Amino acid sequence: MVAITGFLLAVFLAPTRPLWPAGALCLLVVCAATLGRLPAKMMCRRMLSISLMVGLPFALSRLGGEETRAAGETFAVKSWLVAGAFVVLMASTRAVTLLEITGHLPVLSGFSQLGGFILRGADLLAEEVTHTNRAWALRAPASAIRIRLSALAWASVSLVTRATVRSERVGAAMALRGFDGRFFAPPARRLVVCDLLWGGAFGLAALAIGIVGRWA
Amino acid sequence: MTMSRRGPDALSRAREFSLAGLLGALGLMLPVGFHALGWGGKVFLPMHLPIVVAGFLVSPATAISLGVAVPFLSSVLTGMPPLAPPIAPLMALELAAKAGTASLLYRSLRAPMCLALPLAIVADWAVLALAVSLAAGFFAIKTGAFHYVLVATVVSVPGTMLQLVTVPLAVLAIERRMPRLRPRTKNAPE
Amino acid sequence: MGVAPLLLVEELSYAYPGGEPALRHVTFSAGAGERVALLGANGAGKSTLLWCLVGVLQAEGRVAVAGVELTPATQPEVRRRIGLAFSEPDDQLFMPMVAQDLAFGPRAAGDSPQQAELKARIAARQVGLEEVLLRRAPHELSSGERRRAALAAVLTLQPQVLALDEPINSLDAPGRAALAETLVGLPSAQLVATHDLDFAHRVCSRALVLVRGALVADEAIEALLKDEERLVAYGLLAPVRDR
Repeated sequence: MVAITGFLLAVFLAPTRPLWPAGALCLLVVCAATLGRLPAKMMCRRMLSISLMVGLPFALSRLGGEETRAAGETFAVKSWLVAGAFVVLMASTRAVTLLEITGHLPVLSGFSQLGGFILRGADLLAEEVTHTNRAWALRAPASAIRIRLSALAWASVSLVTRATVRSERVGAAMALRGFDGRFFAPPARRLVVCDLLWGGAFGLAALAIGIVGRWA
Repeated sequence: MTMSRRGPDALSRAREFSLAGLLGALGLMLPVGFHALGWGGKVFLPMHLPIVVAGFLVSPATAISLGVAVPFLSSVLTGMPPLAPPIAPLMALELAAKAGTASLLYRSLRAPMCLALPLAIVADWAVLALAVSLAAGFFAIKTGAFHYVLVATVVSVPGTMLQLVTVPLAVLAIERRMPRLRPRTKNAPE
Repeated sequence: MGVAPLLLVEELSYAYPGGEPALRHVTFSAGAGERVALLGANGAGKSTLLWCLVGVLQAEGRVAVAGVELTPATQPEVRRRIGLAFSEPDDQLFMPMVAQDLAFGPRAAGDSPQQAELKARIAARQVGLEEVLLRRAPHELSSGERRRAALAAVLTLQPQVLALDEPINSLDAPGRAALAETLVGLPSAQLVATHDLDFAHRVCSRALVLVRGALVADEAIEALLKDEERLVAYGLLAPVRDR
């Protein structure tokens, strides 16, 4: 949290001309990815899809005047930096951990619970999709595209129907465990010294770059 | 003996959130499937499908919460839609408006689906236009907001058509399977 | 003068909408600490009976736990006293992390996060669930571990009666033996719906037999298991020529 907050502030403060603050922030992200031993291929793949989204407006901005080109550069550089930081965050942190962190924030408890249900639902559906795919692959391994599309459509319908039926049973499970309509925030994750040190160091370093870059 | 107000409300709320969670999970997974097939999220709007279906099955507050939560969760889990450029926040507003409008019209005001769904889609476009204008003003971008909204709307026509066809079918099929989910008057039994 | 039973069921009847009666005038009772097997073929009404005991299905008749009669107003109170473990543990594990699932019941009852965590750890220890598994997502657990986690989630509320619906589905032999040992070690009264006669014999001292919704036997399990003819008649054992 501290790291991301510091980084976002730094990106907001840092100018794009000269380029060194943005370069320094980029280096910081690369260092974090390296220290976290994140696979380079995965990082590149994710950044590529972001780049396509950022690249088009940037390319269009080159066709405009000085002001438009500067705005395009700012948009591209800052989007890239923030996207990079979030890619590192997503690759290095479990989704459940992120939900636990909301226990430290004054987030509406209903949102946290809903997020938890969605995550759990995604796990269940992923398992069902895997089983369905396997069953289908074993029964029709070399089927025509028309059959594959038809199977996909029917599997999706089946997933939706099973999801709704399952929700009845899950609702009953909640009620049987005493749920009375009021939601509560998940227990906050205990922060350890290591978390605070790394997060604090990263966030402060980013903030320092942003402040120096802006006012130097 | 009449049912206590507390019991059925708690069970209904539990079921509603559980259903919202599972449909939200579909909202996370369908885009992954579409992207894997290379069909493009922007064209077919796969994330919108389960969220709009949820809009017809849950209360407005839950529908809006789902619309806000799913794009951000998807962004955190899969990287799409991205937080920067701010596509995830825009999608959150769109989905919240669309699902919330559908729920409000269909469940609270008892409007027929043939009216609720198109109006929900229009609400989506309206909120997108407003959000993009405000964002453009905030970032001092003088031109492009209108063009962005126009392009986004035109490009997503196949997705809109898909919603108009599949959402009513899905909602009716689910309501037939689980009549409890149909919108009902206040005093009707569970 | 006998002690009042912990669980009392009188003339319980239920029919699914548009279907045949699933329960017909079922009457039985169970005392504190007693472990009762609920036996019957597929479709006999075992699961239906368990769902009626906790009020999810609205049956006719009377259900009382520790003197508290089940009515719409007392449903939350009764549900605190009877814990039901579903046949499908995934339906009962609805939080993204096992520890959160286990803590859900105590938190819903108003406990602080710390108290709920403590109860979760105690329940996990009771069912032999390793503490390291508490920080995992349910889908990362094996089916046996998920079943234990679902059971622990019910035990955190410290119910006086524990109802288990087909608890050994998808468990291998060592898993069944371990679960049997766990159940025997729990202090609560238990109602165990199962097809497995060996498991029922290992865990329970008494058996109730349902046939097409009607209670046809209520006796010591030893005596019932010795009578092969009756077991076949009740659909609990395949006829000799089919084995």
